[in-house]
Amino acid sequence: MAAIEMAPVVSSNRDGRFAKVLIYVGSGILVVAALAALLAPLLTRWGPTEIDPSGTLAAPGGEHLLGTDGNGMDVWSRVLHAARLDLGIAVLAVALAVVVGTLLGLLAGYLGGWVDDVLMRIVDIFQAFPTFILALAVSALLGGGFFNLVVTIAAVNAPAYARLVRAEVRTLREMQYIDAAKTSGASTIGIMWRHLLPNSLTPVRVIAPLNCGWAMLTLAGLSFLGLGVTVPTAEWGSMISLGTSDVVAGRWWTSVPPGLALLVCVLGFSLLGEGLQERADAKRR
Amino acid sequence: MPSETITREQAVTMLDIQDLSVVIHRPGRQVAALSNVSFSVAPGEVVGLVGESGGGKSMVARAIVGMLPSGSHATGRVGFDGADVLRMDAADLARHRGSGAAICFQNPRGALSPTRTVGRQLIDRLVTHQDMKGDRAAETAKELFAAVGIRNPARRLEAYPHELSGGMAQRVMISLATGCAPGLLIADEPTTGLDVTLTREILRQFRHAADTDGRGVLLISHDLASIAEVCDRVVVLYAGTVVESGPAAKVLREPAHPYTRALLRSVPDVGGGRVVATAGGMPLMTAAPHDCPFAPRCAHATDDCRSTRPETTMLDGDWSLACFHPQETPLAEAIAADLTTAATEPGDVVLKIEDAHVVYRSRFGSGGHHALRGVSLELRAGETLGVVGESGCGKSTLAKLIMGLVEPSEGSVEVAGKGVRKQSRAERTRAQMVFQDPIGSLSPRRTVGDSIAEPLRAAKVPAKERAQRVEAALGRMELDPSILTRLPHELSGGQAQRIGIARALVGRPDLIVFDEPTSALDVTVQAQILDVIADVASDAGHGSVFISHDLATVRGFADRVVVLYLGRVVEEGPVDEVFDRPKHPYTRALLGSAPRLGETRTADVQLVKDLDEADAATGCALAARCPFVTDTCRSQEQTLQPYGETRAACWRVPELTALIEKS
Repeated sequence: MAAIEMAPVVSSNRDGRFAKVLIYVGSGILVVAALAALLAPLLTRWGPTEIDPSGTLAAPGGEHLLGTDGNGMDVWSRVLHAARLDLGIAVLAVALAVVVGTLLGLLAGYLGGWVDDVLMRIVDIFQAFPTFILALAVSALLGGGFFNLVVTIAAVNAPAYARLVRAEVRTLREMQYIDAAKTSGASTIGIMWRHLLPNSLTPVRVIAPLNCGWAMLTLAGLSFLGLGVTVPTAEWGSMISLGTSDVVAGRWWTSVPPGLALLVCVLGFSLLGEGLQERADAKRR
Repeated sequence: MPSETITREQAVTMLDIQDLSVVIHRPGRQVAALSNVSFSVAPGEVVGLVGESGGGKSMVARAIVGMLPSGSHATGRVGFDGADVLRMDAADLARHRGSGAAICFQNPRGALSPTRTVGRQLIDRLVTHQDMKGDRAAETAKELFAAVGIRNPARRLEAYPHELSGGMAQRVMISLATGCAPGLLIADEPTTGLDVTLTREILRQFRHAADTDGRGVLLISHDLASIAEVCDRVVVLYAGTVVESGPAAKVLREPAHPYTRALLRSVPDVGGGRVVATAGGMPLMTAAPHDCPFAPRCAHATDDCRSTRPETTMLDGDWSLACFHPQETPLAEAIAADLTTAATEPGDVVLKIEDAHVVYRSRFGSGGHHALRGVSLELRAGETLGVVGESGCGKSTLAKLIMGLVEPSEGSVEVAGKGVRKQSRAERTRAQMVFQDPIGSLSPRRTVGDSIAEPLRAAKVPAKERAQRVEAALGRMELDPSILTRLPHELSGGQAQRIGIARALVGRPDLIVFDEPTSALDVTVQAQILDVIADVASDAGHGSVFISHDLATVRGFADRVVVLYLGRVVEEGPVDEVFDRPKHPYTRALLGSAPRLGETRTADVQLVKDLDEADAATGCALAARCPFVTDTCRSQEQTLQPYGETRAACWRVPELTALIEKS
């Protein structure tokens, strides 16, 4: 008997296998970056702000793996140590943004009425400015330093989470299981905490890693403009900024390595976020 | 087989499926969706394809239009007017789908494009498939709309899908499908989600398409009773195999296959017969079966059934069967139901509603939807109150009102002697609800155990006692405690609804509201759940409100029944009294459209319009649809008046019997 074959399942990303690859590669990159940051002192014998009196702007090789910068500081060591600051600030800032944004979104979405109106108008004010301009303004207001940068970057990202969670909650609150919880005598806080929160976090889980990548870029951008960390501290953005004039003179090693480190980390976050998105889509099918 | 049958089939058969098997390969699993399916449809014939979900009904439909899912492997032949659909190329398939076979989908609103008017969508089809010019297409569209019973077709052509009611959208779907003049019309669950009066109307449209235009019609449904009346022949699918097929009258009245019998027994009957549940669920086949797939659930199964797959044999005419043990006793005798329900002494009043109105205010402007207009009810512990009516009559609003999910704009609601809006958290759990969507009413990221315990947590029951009571409730639902750690998406519909009932029971409430608890379930599962509910509802400790658009299920276990129409109670009384001797014309119409197995029914009152077309500003709410309307009806609203044990709100009750006989 003749058999009729329909085309096989179209592309491999439909079944979530592609998603898995993305997630593995993305988190692989990030794990390596995090290890490099943590183990920095073991990977180089120079300190990040240690000046080698024997020479400034030394080419890569020999004493210094990636050469030295204009102040005679070891570039490889600085790139490694900067990862602590860049990754740390980005992840903490996004975590803070998620917590604050989700909380606001939950309240606005579920309570509605004037609570919603007031919270969302505040969010509107934040979202009315281009992200980077807002970050510039906030950081000019607060000043640099680790903690202030975390707050600055969290502040520019939190409104997006508030909107996202609010939208999610507004559809979820019409669901039958919320009615069921109400008729089971659950309190308002109980409904928000036990039923709405766990169910509204799916899109947040997908967006947050992507957002970490953007946060790193924002941080680097601020530092590039001199609003981030103060000069001798190792930070990719400020390193790139300091190194730009050297590039013209053919001394690429002061700015290209931090640029590449930034690129790879942002890529890691993007792949992870993309993978989570794919997986969420595959589950929905 | 008589020789004339063969010649008839060979001469005029339009659809002829021979030995069709479909296996779907997916990474990591394989599903045998259909195994050796054979049947045919002739022009002018309505064939019903019935069985529970997962039985392969939709797969048959997909095979006929050449839209098998990716990764499927099909063998056999799907003959259509001499050609084999499985071997058609893309161009032939496109032609076949346009004018050969057309499908009406299950969810008509989802199948219509939301941003274009329905008229535009129909006209586009006519222009592409029928090569019509614009003007003629518009004219034809109007005729097609009129043909499927759409009143004022010119106006409806301008409507967007969201402006249409479910029944109207289904009619539009039918007109879209018939617009290309297909030989075969396939309707996949066309009446799911529609209420009785509409179901009847829509099914009549399909019969009409077969009788007047000579089309073949394949009606796919899990609801045997409703399609019984319009079908010429019936094909019963179970786990991808045809277990029985033959003339509708035979198969539905004297079914020989135990599965067909189980299906029929699962359907509640408006005449008062009780359902008989069949345990178990349909297996998921990974390969064509080598035994009888129904054997594990079958009471007549022998070792033969478990080792060999029964061949399809002819009984007589074109009645065929795949079973070693054909049953012969007429179904009616086999389920001679014992209707002796022990009368419980009514206890305290657990629910008291006085003249409640509910108005949903629209967000913009001053208007609003008046969902309930002056409803008064009283219910005692141990009693079960049935609430029936078409969709949109306010049934669900009534449930929400009782549960305190909406506030009455006038009037009062008391549960267990306490005003609903004045309850504390613990008091709020005195009334519990079982929802329509069993899985959707469980919080997706909370375990089953957590969901059941929720009312106990609100009542501040200590954790240890909580666990005990959850387990006790679970035991009553005949579920294994291992289910407690599962999440809702890991449950079947039947399991999820048992969990929902367990959650309602666990706090020992004074009142349980069942809001269409079985309408989302498959028939045999429905019967199992109705068994459980009947048991729960007969408890003396609490009162029950059972809301359903399905009159037959209500009759099964309600003591009293309330008929709602556009937010008003139009009739109320003891269930047998209301069902056997209805007073209100609306009740008569509802009962007349309720499907009865194996009977040609005669509705003594026919409503003249659809619900969404009837708007009454003054007078009786039914005036616009009632065939017996008078000037008094149009100008003044009658209140509930006692007639024997029942009460009804109609001016014409005393003369009604005489009026019906005359017409």
